[in-house]
Amino acid sequence: MNSQRDQAYLKTRVGIYASRLLSDEDIRILKQMSLHQLGERFDLLPIFEQEIETRQKSGLVEHQLLQQLMNELKVLLRPLSGRSRGLILYWPRKYELYNLKTLIQGKWNNLGIQEIRHNLYALPENIRLPHEALLQAENVQEMLRQLERGPYSQIASQARNIYEEQHENFSLGAAIDRLYYTGMLAQANITDCSDKRGLKKAIGSMVDRQNILWLMRYRLVYQFAPSEVYYLLIPYGGQIQRDKLMELANVEGLDTIIEQLPEPFHSLLAGSVNITDARQRLDFWVSDELRKLMLGSRDGVVAALCYLISRDTDIWRLYAIIQGKLLGMTNDLLDEAVSGIKGSAGSEEAA
Amino acid sequence: MFSPLPMKQISIKVLNEDLPGASVILAGLSNFSPDNRPYAENALTEIPGQHFREQYNQAKSRLDKISALVSYTPAPFDGEVTTITEAELEEANQWLGEAWETCSDFEERQRRLTEESRNISQLETSLANFSNLDVDLGQLQQDQPFLESSIGMVSSNRVEQLKDAIGLDGYLLFPFLRSEKESHVLIIGAKRTEHSKLKSVLDTAGFRPLDIPPELHTEPETAKSRLAERHAAVDENSQQLNLEIVAWRANALEGLEQTAHTLHLAAPYVALGEAARRSGKLARLQGWVPAEDMAQVEAALQQKLPNAFVLESRDPLPEERAIVPSVMRHSRLFKPFSSLVMQYGVPRYGEVNPTHLFALTYILMFGMMFGDVGHGAVILGAALIWRRKLGSFTPFGVAAGISSMVFGLLYGSIFGFEHLFHAWWIAPLSDPLYMLTVALLWGIGFIVISSLLNIINHLVQGDRLGALFGDNGLLSLLLYTGMLGTGYSLYAEGSVGGFWATLAILTLIGIFAHKLIEQEASIGERILVAFIETFETITGYASNTLSFLRVAAFSLNHVALAIAVFTLAGMMGDTGHWITVVLGNVFILVLEGLIVAIQVLRLEFYEGFSRFYAGDGKAFKPLTLS
Repeated sequence: MNSQRDQAYLKTRVGIYASRLLSDEDIRILKQMSLHQLGERFDLLPIFEQEIETRQKSGLVEHQLLQQLMNELKVLLRPLSGRSRGLILYWPRKYELYNLKTLIQGKWNNLGIQEIRHNLYALPENIRLPHEALLQAENVQEMLRQLERGPYSQIASQARNIYEEQHENFSLGAAIDRLYYTGMLAQANITDCSDKRGLKKAIGSMVDRQNILWLMRYRLVYQFAPSEVYYLLIPYGGQIQRDKLMELANVEGLDTIIEQLPEPFHSLLAGSVNITDARQRLDFWVSDELRKLMLGSRDGVVAALCYLISRDTDIWRLYAIIQGKLLGMTNDLLDEAVSGIKGSAGSEEAA
Repeated sequence: MFSPLPMKQISIKVLNEDLPGASVILAGLSNFSPDNRPYAENALTEIPGQHFREQYNQAKSRLDKISALVSYTPAPFDGEVTTITEAELEEANQWLGEAWETCSDFEERQRRLTEESRNISQLETSLANFSNLDVDLGQLQQDQPFLESSIGMVSSNRVEQLKDAIGLDGYLLFPFLRSEKESHVLIIGAKRTEHSKLKSVLDTAGFRPLDIPPELHTEPETAKSRLAERHAAVDENSQQLNLEIVAWRANALEGLEQTAHTLHLAAPYVALGEAARRSGKLARLQGWVPAEDMAQVEAALQQKLPNAFVLESRDPLPEERAIVPSVMRHSRLFKPFSSLVMQYGVPRYGEVNPTHLFALTYILMFGMMFGDVGHGAVILGAALIWRRKLGSFTPFGVAAGISSMVFGLLYGSIFGFEHLFHAWWIAPLSDPLYMLTVALLWGIGFIVISSLLNIINHLVQGDRLGALFGDNGLLSLLLYTGMLGTGYSLYAEGSVGGFWATLAILTLIGIFAHKLIEQEASIGERILVAFIETFETITGYASNTLSFLRVAAFSLNHVALAIAVFTLAGMMGDTGHWITVVLGNVFILVLEGLIVAIQVLRLEFYEGFSRFYAGDGKAFKPLTLS
């Protein structure tokens, strides 16, 4: 996508869509609204008025919100072709990777077809795995055999290794997340975008956030050896690269890690009391970075990508508010739930 | 004939127990398309057959997987039509479940054998590579007092990161045989007590240690022959497994056929989906049936349903037109043309079905653009010789061939020879202007008919405003007529005809005014949009009309290509002359024939269909037993 016309279309579209993004003030107001008011504002009343279980309502809301995001994605994809299209189309694959995780873990834990299906995201056909065929697999080996014949053969091999060797379950999730980010970086490297610096900055900020959180978690919670911690990280972040990551992997203790982090992370995370606190600060930072890039980039593809990631974050914040209201949560719990979602530019929170 | 068949919306009330039977009866008739819309009656809320559907889906999936593994293709259904009970379906599913368990085991064994074969191949490659290394591999294999080493394989794209990672623990990694997917690596480091550190990171990296034969260093030939033996054993096991599969298939064939038969008969009830609802002992199903088949449906239900039923029918409501499926029944002759029309889209219910017009104009235009007795005869002959392969498309080839032959006679052309017999009408190159005029008139006729069909379609849908003011509506057609009249007056009389010019200007004003009114925007934006769209209407008609000049252009091109071939042939000797003539004709036949076929389709779709044919109707998908 290089023509001036297509750039103009994309930037105009992103400009119009940008008004849908939620500010912190919007979120504060939304939290104060009743379920009925939220339903009116986001066309969700027909769902709220149905006489079905809360869990079903929640599922329908999630489906509708995700559908809105996919519709916007379709509109933004219109002028795109070739590698730029590939890049934007790669971004929602994270949902398919969540689905993959759900499918493997569902079969692993012998869950029923309906139970697994209920937890799958409804996605457009061009990025969707053949869910029904996979669901009909009678055990995890059969499903892995099916997956090994498709584009996720690498994940399937990893899962088989974990399944057969009885390793810890989390390494599958880590492998899937790493595959997503490295794939995204690979797409960014080959795309013909005119603002590669902006694009790499956007993806780099997400990778940095993810690396810092993984580093803290693997080192402080799972107590992994430095070599294993480093192996599980992505050495192509925006501001934290290979050498710094190797150095950080050897550090022990939250304060020391934060002390060793380069700027702006050192100042940003100074005083964090735990990983959750650090995550919230990082999420705010990523969100701000992406919105700045969305408005400032000269390339429509970068703006579109930043918009989609920011919109995705907003949608999950909104979903958290609605789910909290459906479950009758107190405002404090709601605050916690929403801040936990903020900036799910990363992957694991939304899952 | 010229529009989809009139339909009836039917509702059949039956006893719950008769619902599967009713679905099978309707599937046997192949003229009932389920209507999955929610029911108006709140009383009928439950969708029946949930368990039946789950059992069917699981059984179908199992049968498909077994069929793929043992190369079994279920025979087309031709057995006795009976109703399948839930118990029978469960029994079939259970049998398939047991069968799939065996087959799944076969599949897993196949996978393991393939994996083992791949590992042995990798070892063989390693062996070839090691034999060139000046390293005592025996030392690497043995437990050393101060040195720890491992040889194995990891994913190629993670080698560098693994190297860095184990470097943190003081180990060295040397990749030595890289492929796109995997790389062989040698890992060496000082021996330490906490061995698990390295193991842990290697496990995470999916490191697969290589089992190096101990004889490798001292007796490489023995090692090679051992690997060959292992390969042979894997091959033998694979053959053995294939024999087991074949034997299992032979034993299970009867069971597979029975279950396939059961699933055939169970499919219609599953396909009913939400078109069937029930409450208590009463069930109802709704759908669409061609009006002419109503008597057949009623008679079949009366004859075959064991209990009483209520059949109600009504005409589609105006607001239902968009969801009524369109049924078109064509003779064998028109089937290929219907398939091409469907490539563009399904006609809306009530909309004109363009198949017959498409068939006639396509064949005529193909002949006009590719008129040659010889080439037409080759197309006709090829269509008849390969009729089995072409299947339902045979009449298309036959008609195109005949049309080409007829126009060949009219043009006096046979295999490019223009002087072997006298043209019954005109040799295209003798008067190109005349040919272009004919093509232009043909195009005008085509566009006028397309616009008239558009007006009819709007009127059928009850959209009078669209028929009058819409794109290609009456006003647009009058504008086109005015433009043509004005153009002709200018050409023939040298002045703009008063009547035609007035007609064109008045209709132009009418179209502009309508576009101005129908917009919902600020006045400035309205004027801009109305101006652009009105201008587009004029340019659209003009460019579409000129587009038909290609009909004449291709007839001229055909002759010109033939002249080029004969000019080239004239430069050769006797043998070369005829070889060039034959090859030239093959070239014209294949390349130009294909281009003409595509160009005609383009004219039909873009200049014709886009004017009157929405093509967004709903395809008729009846319940069937196939």
